[in-house]
Amino acid sequence: MKIMVCLKQVPHQDARLDINGDGTWIQEDNIKFEINSYDTYALEEALLIKDAGEAEVLVVSIGPDRVTQALRTALGMGADRAIHVNDPEIQGSDSLGMAKVLAAVAKEENPDLILAGLMSEDANYAAVPPMLAELVGIPHTTAAVKVERSNGTLTCDREIEGGANEVVTLEAPCLVAVQSGLNQVRYASLKGIMAAKKKPLDVKTAADLGVADQVGAGAAKVSVTQIAPPPKGDTAELVEGSPDEIAAKLVTKIKELGLL
Amino acid sequence: MSTILIVTEIQNGALREASYELAAIAQKLDGASVKSVVIGQGVDALAAEFASKGGGEVFVADDPALAHYSVEAHGTAIRAAVEASGADLVLLSNTPSGWDVAPRIAAALDAAFVSDCFDITLDGGKPVCRRRVFNGKLNATLATSADKVVATVQPGATAAFEGSTDGSVSKLDVAIDAGGLKARFVEIKQSAATGVDLTKAEVIVSGGRGVGDPEKFSEVIKPLADALGGAMGASRPVVDAGWLPHEYQVGSSGQTVQPKLYIACGISGAIQHLVGMKSSNFIIAVNKDPDAPIFEIADLGVVGDLFEVIPALTKAITAAKG
Repeated sequence: MKIMVCLKQVPHQDARLDINGDGTWIQEDNIKFEINSYDTYALEEALLIKDAGEAEVLVVSIGPDRVTQALRTALGMGADRAIHVNDPEIQGSDSLGMAKVLAAVAKEENPDLILAGLMSEDANYAAVPPMLAELVGIPHTTAAVKVERSNGTLTCDREIEGGANEVVTLEAPCLVAVQSGLNQVRYASLKGIMAAKKKPLDVKTAADLGVADQVGAGAAKVSVTQIAPPPKGDTAELVEGSPDEIAAKLVTKIKELGLL
Repeated sequence: MSTILIVTEIQNGALREASYELAAIAQKLDGASVKSVVIGQGVDALAAEFASKGGGEVFVADDPALAHYSVEAHGTAIRAAVEASGADLVLLSNTPSGWDVAPRIAAALDAAFVSDCFDITLDGGKPVCRRRVFNGKLNATLATSADKVVATVQPGATAAFEGSTDGSVSKLDVAIDAGGLKARFVEIKQSAATGVDLTKAEVIVSGGRGVGDPEKFSEVIKPLADALGGAMGASRPVVDAGWLPHEYQVGSSGQTVQPKLYIACGISGAIQHLVGMKSSNFIIAVNKDPDAPIFEIADLGVVGDLFEVIPALTKAITAAKG
């Protein structure tokens, strides 16, 4: 079987979030990037299926040159092949534009299963995976915390509210957007990283994929006009001093609460 | 904006509060006609109720295949309602079913899509959406430029509509080929009872990603919880990383707690965590990042190194108890 894993490279969780010059996104120069954490669980799930039998794992990512690093890491973890859609014309696309690019890849590759993370840690949209499933014409589920396969059917537990799970079955080919925490993500071994250098990493443009007229800011139906820190409302009263002074002030408060 | 379609949601036999929140947003947008769809099995009474309480012209999609949420069946019903209503703005709640189906609807309609909005206004007749990005650290304003817009709204972000409206109910013809569905609902699995019941604790000391590794929970977090006679909790990243079992998780996918005192250590305050603990009587937050959202809901905040502050606090509490 063939598994396509969608990866997004996002600013590192501890990266400084400075607003860019026109106030529409963060300053992305000179900050560290990493694979979106939700997507690492999707990749791990694909690699677990590969470990259990015959599966080819294809990783796909859209973005500038820096994305090569994320794809090499994924290959180092055990993915077999990578496709890097690297095209400045794609910049400014909305979720639907990105989904159209990935759908074009999926239609060329015909995977039996597409795995993705529930959402990205930067934009937090959670939009691309269900859109991709719609555009490819396959069933999907989101927030999967357990994925089991039997013949052509996947049984997934999806996380709903209050600690409950909803069990759904999907007929393959299908797409599963995974919740974080559904497995323990492996690290790339040194051997894996060395082997990854010989694995195929194809670079494509929107034109190669036949979607040049559907991407970029011109085709986008949604655009960010402003980004800003949330207004400071009732911020906490700050307690300052040395650790011992802070501790003494907190003890006074805890006593007032009647808890000491 | 001429017509808004509210996609309601049923939970435990009633319309969700979030559906009335969508009504509040729809009713405040100037000059728009408000229509709704109620989807389920045997839901005529709910539709009639919603028609008079903000829903306006309500379509009912009633079919055995709609008794439980299923992405294809509900997607078919929603698309039929979009067509019947002629809506140019479709509103759903950002709930597990809302976030699952809404992007599919948007892709099928080739519409603009914005998820998890906390506010929607109009500018020149086009929806302008505001939402959080970067896990709540920044707010984004988004403009839409399409004939149709699909948006999901964060539950609880707006007060529910409480007025009354003139409404009507009509049946929506939805043809669902139940045998041909490729995604099927099987069952709901309730969470198993766990050994850790945080809901009864008077004091909870929770650790987040900032605690760094599992050993630090037993070395730093647990001793403070013990000194206060309280319980230890955790945020999602801690549980995802396998540092603590799921039963310690506080938040939307874990336990919802309301202790007299909640001490958040190294927790930035993602919305999923905040919804599970923001009703605590008193909140103390310790975090090295002064911009961490947790400080917005905390009563007392310490911007500093939890590995210095928490042990000092544990020592002071032990001393105070004599």
